[in-house]
Parts: sequence; C-alpha cells; structure tokens
Amino acid sequence: MTLLMVGGGVAGLLLVGGFFAFMFRGLRESTIRNGLGHLQIFNAEHFRRDEVHVLDTGISDWQRVASNVRSADHVRGIAPRIEFYGMLSNGVKSSVFMGSAVDPDAERAMSFSPRLAAGRDLTESSSVEIEALVGTGVARSMSVKVGDGLTILSVTADGALNGIDVQIVGIVNTGFKDLDDRYLRITLPSAQRLLQSDRVTNLVVGLDKTENTDAVAAAFTPRLNGLSQEMTMKKWIDLAAYYKQVRTLFSGIFLFLGIIVFFMVLMASVNTLLMAMMERTREIGTMLAMGTPRPWIVALFMLEATITGVLGAAVGLIGGNLIGIALNASGLHLPPPPGLSTEMAFRVLHVPALMIGSSILVVVSLALASILPAVRASRLQIAEALAHV
Amino acid sequence: MNTTDAIVTVEQVTRRFPLDHNAVTALDNLTLAIDHGEFLAISGPSGSGKSTLLNLIGCIDKPTSGRILIEGTDTSRLSPSETSVLRREKIGFVFQTFNLIPVFTAAENVEYPLLVQGLSNSERRRRVAEALNNVGLSSRASHRPDLLSGGERQRVAIARAIVHRPAIVLADEPTANLDTRNATQLIDLMRDLNQSLGLTFIFSTHDQRLLEHTPRIVRLTDGRIVSDTISETSHVEVLAASVS
Repeated sequence: MTLLMVGGGVAGLLLVGGFFAFMFRGLRESTIRNGLGHLQIFNAEHFRRDEVHVLDTGISDWQRVASNVRSADHVRGIAPRIEFYGMLSNGVKSSVFMGSAVDPDAERAMSFSPRLAAGRDLTESSSVEIEALVGTGVARSMSVKVGDGLTILSVTADGALNGIDVQIVGIVNTGFKDLDDRYLRITLPSAQRLLQSDRVTNLVVGLDKTENTDAVAAAFTPRLNGLSQEMTMKKWIDLAAYYKQVRTLFSGIFLFLGIIVFFMVLMASVNTLLMAMMERTREIGTMLAMGTPRPWIVALFMLEATITGVLGAAVGLIGGNLIGIALNASGLHLPPPPGLSTEMAFRVLHVPALMIGSSILVVVSLALASILPAVRASRLQIAEALAHV
Repeated sequence: MNTTDAIVTVEQVTRRFPLDHNAVTALDNLTLAIDHGEFLAISGPSGSGKSTLLNLIGCIDKPTSGRILIEGTDTSRLSPSETSVLRREKIGFVFQTFNLIPVFTAAENVEYPLLVQGLSNSERRRRVAEALNNVGLSSRASHRPDLLSGGERQRVAIARAIVHRPAIVLADEPTANLDTRNATQLIDLMRDLNQSLGLTFIFSTHDQRLLEHTPRIVRLTDGRIVSDTISETSHVEVLAASVS
C-alpha cells in the first residue's frame, strides 16, 4: 500500500512536472522562434533614454557589428530589425500597428519565419509592390485579405510624417491574440524608406541550440568592444517577460504540488509505519530481549522505510514514464490557454532532474515519517512487548 | 543452596505492578539460587509469578525491590545498554509462541543473535550449522517459520537460544503450544542440551510431562515459593554429564 502511494506520488510529480517542462520548453522555443532570437544586440543608448524620434538610438554601422559576431561558434545567423509603429489605413478604417521590419532571407535562415494563416512570407526582392504581412486580428478588424492594399503612416527619423502603400502577401497568426491585433511586418529596405533612415533598431542573433546562449554571449562581449557606438547585448531570457511570468507561476504551482505530495506521503507513511510497529510489537520485543541495541531498532525501521521509499520511487519512475509515453503517443491536445489562439499539444517530457528530485523527495519523506514509529519501537518495554497480543 | 556457586541469585525480590489505584504483587520477597548446569522448572498456577520471575532473571524487567545477580553481577546496577550486552552474551530465550521472525528462514533466525554480537560471517555460518544440527533441523535451514511445524519452530527457537553459547537458557512455557509427541521430543532435546553442553535451563511450566523429567522444581503460589524440590539422581546426572 505504502509502495503504491509512494509510486503514485512520484508518477504524479513526473507527469505534472514533465508536462510543465514541455510547456516551458515549447513556450521558450516559440518565444525565440517568433522572433525574439537567442541574443539581441542594441546600441547601449537604447536602454539609457527614451527615443525622441524612431531609430534615434538605433545602430548605425550595423553591418560591421554583424560581421564582428557572425564568425562566433554556434551562430546560425544574424538578422537586422527595425521596430516601429504608426497607423494603418485601407481608406475606410484605420488601426494602430506595431511594426517590425526584417531581412526575410536572414530570418528564414534562422527558422524565424512567421506562422502564416494565409498567403506567403515576405521576399527580399519585390520591386513592384511593397510587401506586408499583417496579423489575423488586423486582417479581421480592417476586413482585408491577401492581395489587398493598405497604407502605412509613420513618423520618420527626422520627425516628419511619411506614408507608403503596401500589398498584403500573408496573414500571420503569432499565437498571441494581443499581438495579432497589432501585427505588421515589412522588409527592412521598405521600412528604411518609410522612416528615412539606414539605421536598425537591433540585431537578432539565432543560435544552433538555446542551451548555448550563455557561452555565445560570453564570446560576443570582446567582439562588441571598440566600435563607433557602444553596444550592449540582451539574452532571450532578459527580454522574455511573458515566458518568465508563466514559468514563475507554474513553478509555484509545481512547488505547491510537491509540498502536498511530500506531506501526503509523510502523513500516510507515519500512520502505516505506526500500524506496522503495532503489528510487530512482539517481534521487536523478541529482538530487544536478545540484546539488540535500541539504536538498531531505530535504524532498522528507518532503513526499511528508506528501502520502501526507494522501491516506491522505482515503481513511480517506471509507472510515470510509461504513462507519459502513452500520453505522448495519444496525440492529446488541450484547448488554447488564455492569451493564446491555438490548441496546445499535451506532451510529457522525461526530465532526469525531475526523476531524481521526486525520488529524493519521497525517500526523504518516508525516512522522516519513520522517525516517530522507529523511536516508539525502540522505547518499547520488552516484557510488555513480548506479552503483546 | 550455596549462593557463591550460583549462576543466578535472586535476593528478596519483590515485583509489584501498578493497577489503577492499587498494586498487584506478582513476586513477594522471593529468594532463590540456581547453580551452573541446572535443569530447573518453575511451576505454579496461572498468575503465580512464573513469567515475572523469568522476566526478572532474563533482565527484561526490573524488580520493585531486592536484587538479582547473574554470575555475581548485580543486574540492578547495570545501565540499559549494559543490560542489553548481558542478555546478548549470557542469556538465551525460548518463548511459548516461538517468536521467530517470520520473514527470516530458520537459519537466519538462528543467526540473528550472532549478528547482534558482531561475529564474522564464516563464524556465524559455522555456529548456525552446529546449532541447527544440535536440534536436528539441518535439513530445514532454508525454510521460513510458516513452513515449519510447531515442534520444528520451537526447536529453531531453541537453536536460536543456544547458538551464541549463553550461560542460561530461559524458556517460558516452552511446551504449551505443542502436542504430546512434539512436547516429549522438545523435553528430550532440552535435557540433552543441558547434559551435553552443560547449559543452565530455567523454564516455567505446568506441563506434567516436562515436570517428570525435571530434577529441580520450584513451585510458586501468589508470588511466593511454596516448595523447592530436588531429585538427587537427576542432579548427579547433570553434573556427571557436565564433567564428562
């Protein structure tokens, strides 16, 4: 019974923790692939003061900065970006947008392609029409579709109002409703023409693996010194506020679950072990009568509880992982969570640290639970214990 | 009885058990001496104090007053850990209900006292084999208690009680749960071990079959000795066997 309870606790922690780990990984990678990148390089002034005009604190000699860091290990690509804002109009309705100008080829090289609901991605060499991608929310509110035209109005780097006509080539679903309602994406040359500047806001760096972020950041530091502008670098985690909020929230929930499992195992085990002690009173009395030192009895109970914990953890690890494999194979999907517009796959990751942690948790719970019964057993009066029925 | 040669000396021992607002006197100012190599029965009706006396001699209970000496050592002056050591080294126990550890095999049950003494693996194996051979259960060494008959279980209990070569074997109603055939075999076994190994056997019983083979019988009533009879021939037999 204790074995099953401990196994259930471990399996539960593995499944919940494995699902949370999948969610964190998915959110992390989608945050990065949605355009955040692994590292972003900025003009240091960008974080020291507010811009008076767009690209006021942009990077002017960005090609040189890019060439300085491109050769570092693990770098898959570097994409210059301009972040800007303004108004969109179709002649009938107007809407505020948050724009992003990109080098489509550089973005694609790093798998930073937007998730298209309709149409196609931007191309670098469009000579006839200026291409644009809009979010699903923008398309819906302005009643536009692929092939329709829009006018973008923004303020140039000098503070003047400027506008260009664009043709919608694709509709994007970022997965974030608030972003879809304001999303606009055009090519870098188009934005530079609109904003009347050859600067970029930042350089987004894509790596082969997210795990290499810290190492590459360390390698970049000397390469960003001695440039005409002082540069600064941000890791993806520094810019992923939403990811951090979600992770903090769910880590708290997981901690709470862990505490519940710990106390459940502790309380139930104390009860079970006390009952076992009662059942074994005569046996303990016999052992004490034969001269067994009382600390041995304490050690015996604690050892038995610890072994039960280890076996229970093994049962939980096997059971939890098998259930996880079955759930992963089932192709289960969850409804879209708040703030997202797409269904979420239900997957359970097999996280070694989680397996070790949950096993240690239940073994420690059982060892602690055994202290009270063990001490009671060791203090039994031998004559009374031998007469116990 | 000359107490200077005694392996067990019970001096004016009283044992009272508190019960509600009163106290029950289980043993009342009892004095007794038991020599090395004796085969002694403590007999008496239920509630006469037989088991209490065995518990006190076995150092698993303490007298309310008086003292008990084991090989000259005053047990009332020993600390709990010293008492454990004394039990471990000098006393073997046989219980009415056998009290074998159910998850251990017969050999493991017999080995347990040696494990507590910290003997080496090879020495333990040798002594377990010898003890099981003494009780005629070598072929049942790997059986768990639930696969043994009542008589076999009690013989395993005796092997466990003698395996660490104690000075005294205490047996509380050892034949009470056995049929006549097994009881007789057990009595013969205990007597053989008493004579061949010179072990001092002290047991409580009201089993007449056992009493017939007992050279010395101490009868208790209401916590007092009412008779202490010694069959001279039997005692001489014991001494002769010990010398030989």
